[in-house]
Amino acid sequence: MAQLQLSDLRKSFGQTDVIRGLNLDIADGEFVVFVGPSGCGKSTTLRMIAGLEDASAGAILLDGANVTRARPADRGIAMVFQSYALFPHLTVADNIGFGLQLQKLDRATIAARVADVAETLHLTPLLGRYPRELSGGQRQRVAIGRAIIRNPKVFLFDEPLSNLDAALRVQMRLEIARLHHRLGATMVYVTHDQVEAMTLADRIVVFNDGRIEQVGSPMELYDHPANRFVAGFIGAPSMNFLPLRGTEGRAESPGMAPAPLPPGKETATELGIRPEHLTLATGTTGDLTGEIELIERLGAETYAYVRVPGQPTDLTLRLPGDTTLRPGTPVTLTIDWPRARWFSPDGRVL
Amino acid sequence: MADTLPRTRFNPWPATVFTVLCVLAVLFLLPTVGVLLSSIKTTREISMGQLWSAPASLFLGNFTEVLGNPAVHRYFLNTLLVTLPATAVSITLGALAGYVFAKLPFRGSNALFLVIVAGMFFPPQVILVPLFRLFNGLGLIDTLWPVIIVHSALGLPICVLMMRNFFATVPNALREAAIMEGASEWQVLTRVVLPLSLPALAVLATLQFTWIWNDFLWPLIFTQSDTKRTIMIGIVNLKGQYSVAWGVQGALSLVASLPTLLVFLFFQRFFIKGMTMGAVKG
Amino acid sequence: MEQHNRFWRIALLSLPLGVFGLFVIWPLFSSFYYSFTDWNGFDANYSYVGFDNFAKIATDRLFLQAAVNTTIWMIAAIVLPTALGLMLALLLDSRVAGARVFKSIFYLPICLSAVIVGQIWTWIYQPDWGLLNTVITQVTGEKFKYAWLAKPDTALWSVIVAWSWQQTGLSMVIYLAGLTAIPGDLLEVCEIEGASPWQRFRRVVLPLLAPSTVVVVALSVINSLKGFDILYIMTGGGPFNSSDTLAMHMYNESFKKYLMGYGSAISVVLFLIALAIIGLYFRQLRKVDRIYG
Repeated sequence: MAQLQLSDLRKSFGQTDVIRGLNLDIADGEFVVFVGPSGCGKSTTLRMIAGLEDASAGAILLDGANVTRARPADRGIAMVFQSYALFPHLTVADNIGFGLQLQKLDRATIAARVADVAETLHLTPLLGRYPRELSGGQRQRVAIGRAIIRNPKVFLFDEPLSNLDAALRVQMRLEIARLHHRLGATMVYVTHDQVEAMTLADRIVVFNDGRIEQVGSPMELYDHPANRFVAGFIGAPSMNFLPLRGTEGRAESPGMAPAPLPPGKETATELGIRPEHLTLATGTTGDLTGEIELIERLGAETYAYVRVPGQPTDLTLRLPGDTTLRPGTPVTLTIDWPRARWFSPDGRVL
Repeated sequence: MADTLPRTRFNPWPATVFTVLCVLAVLFLLPTVGVLLSSIKTTREISMGQLWSAPASLFLGNFTEVLGNPAVHRYFLNTLLVTLPATAVSITLGALAGYVFAKLPFRGSNALFLVIVAGMFFPPQVILVPLFRLFNGLGLIDTLWPVIIVHSALGLPICVLMMRNFFATVPNALREAAIMEGASEWQVLTRVVLPLSLPALAVLATLQFTWIWNDFLWPLIFTQSDTKRTIMIGIVNLKGQYSVAWGVQGALSLVASLPTLLVFLFFQRFFIKGMTMGAVKG
Repeated sequence: MEQHNRFWRIALLSLPLGVFGLFVIWPLFSSFYYSFTDWNGFDANYSYVGFDNFAKIATDRLFLQAAVNTTIWMIAAIVLPTALGLMLALLLDSRVAGARVFKSIFYLPICLSAVIVGQIWTWIYQPDWGLLNTVITQVTGEKFKYAWLAKPDTALWSVIVAWSWQQTGLSMVIYLAGLTAIPGDLLEVCEIEGASPWQRFRRVVLPLLAPSTVVVVALSVINSLKGFDILYIMTGGGPFNSSDTLAMHMYNESFKKYLMGYGSAISVVLFLIALAIIGLYFRQLRKVDRIYG
């Protein structure tokens, strides 16, 4: 398969810079997920890789060849669209075999290859049906089938699961993961859902405002975020952020007992701590004091939202599923200090 | 897909396309240009074969003759007297019926709606003779009344179609909320639904005005004397009278087209919307 | 509530239905009635003649010619403005500069009266100084004075061209609307799969334009059945009935020859033809709706 390289890739629409200099190397067979908030440029980047958008500057290399100016059909890529983009007037078989029909291959060959792909995706009984007769999940598989039959060097997925309901989304996520294992192909996957990113990716690329914030494996991003944005974006519920004032070697925050400032963190203005790294203090001594405002029971675990006076927002705390705590209970929390993250005024992790 | 901006449609040869369009546009404009040229040339020039050459001088005599002719004034007045009331009546009746079909349907209302809409598709020749007899019996031949009435009636199908389709897009919840506040159905129609329907009304007004102003058949059937003619009949008549006064004819054609041309230029949006909306909805 | 609804249904529908019933539906039935009489339009007395009028139609040479002409007209009306309108829509859809101006130019003729259109084109076909003959004269170097509208061979087609000039804009507008309804990502799939412009048109664009095509064809057919005004202006049905259509023929028989009974019979036939076509149209529309809806 392929090695994909983005080299100082830029894109502007008129005066507005949308993509500001991306550099990325994707290895052969990797599953890379582009993730980020709306408007961050992840879809635009994907479309530039596909060739549906022209890059304003920079280069895209596929297997060493510069494809920046090449037409989409000549790049050896295949794309699965968010809306599936199935032709309503063609059967499932004709949809999957569309590209082959364009290449004027003989009918027997096309039928054989379509049958093959249909078998892989469990679509064989549906070959004669029309898209309007299929469910969302089935349509998605047809779209994937159309991509597979091209034997592309890179698969591109543009938010393919956004149009599905929650249960179906989980199911299709697993299918895509299985597909990746079976084909061993390079896949670039765009989503705004960080759960999909965490579960599917070999590596995640976090986008923000046209730039790459951080690239790394899911756990790398989770445990060692490079900046405040990544720390707040990855992980659900998200990390707690406490405003910090460092004076004379001590870290101070409203509602928090002053704590020693570790070396190198003198310029920190924010303290980040994940919900699972906050625990209930056994006695009345702890780092934070407050009152439980809300309890959310999810069955296997519970999240408590604690109001600490002086803190801008409630802090989130993870508790065991069978906790009996109720809203209104005053609590004291202990911070797992080695896991805390310190952030400078410009958002970098210290 | 909030990330992406729309990609321009695929156009492989922009220069060629533009050139072809220019050529076609010129060809399309030629007939209209012909009228323009004829109106500013003397009839003598035209009969000598110089209609299609570039004008040496601007001859305005045709226009003065047309605009000063009291018969022409009468034709214009008659056409206005027919077009404005018929437009208003057909739209009003269309709104009333459209409202019922959209908001107060009943068993068989859909079939009734289709019957009315089907009326759009029939050749008017089918009802020519009986209508003539009817108005003849009423002594209304050679007045403007039959033309107004028939245009109102024949305009109903398109007006009902469009108003009903538009009213259907107004949420029922609005009507129900108003009724709970004590509004009568009439008040719902006039105070709630109609104000929201201005775009649809504009579309219909544009279409109906153009269609009725331009019509030729009904005035032909129902009017005879010169004092009752509409402008389109007037043009045809002039052709008979002054079979050789081409310059004047050209000027008159131009002047007669002015109202619909102006309506078209200013309300193009509505025009096009009307043609596609009314046509696309079965 | 139901009581209230019923009152308003009647109140609001009475006037529109009254007007429509009185001036459209009732005359329609009257036409059927008159087709069985020999009424001449003026006498109070006329007699019932049974199916004589219809029998006459079967042997009327003029009717046959008018029917042939109407068919030619209809087929030309389906092909010419539709194809041309489609071509223009495709050209204009590709984000070319000045698209709005072009659209207005092609669409402008629609707002002109048939009288004006007939007028304009009569001047183009004028044997002595019309544009067509002038151009041909320039090109061939010989004085060309062919009388397009006065010769039976070319009269009908000359009017058809004029009429197509006016109707093309309409089909263009409908096709443009249909084109914008095609989802952008289907076209992107074509880019990714490497479809040539022709392949894209034939395999994706044209099939997905089917709803628009149904509308355009139906409108063309209906409008051609109604076609009367422009013929009256340009040829009056002549020369020698070579450009007579059924609508024209009906008018001539009723108002020129005062055979209103016979004219009614012709209009009844016209009505039945229109009915068949409308039935076909609705059925086709429903079929297309099911596939693409």
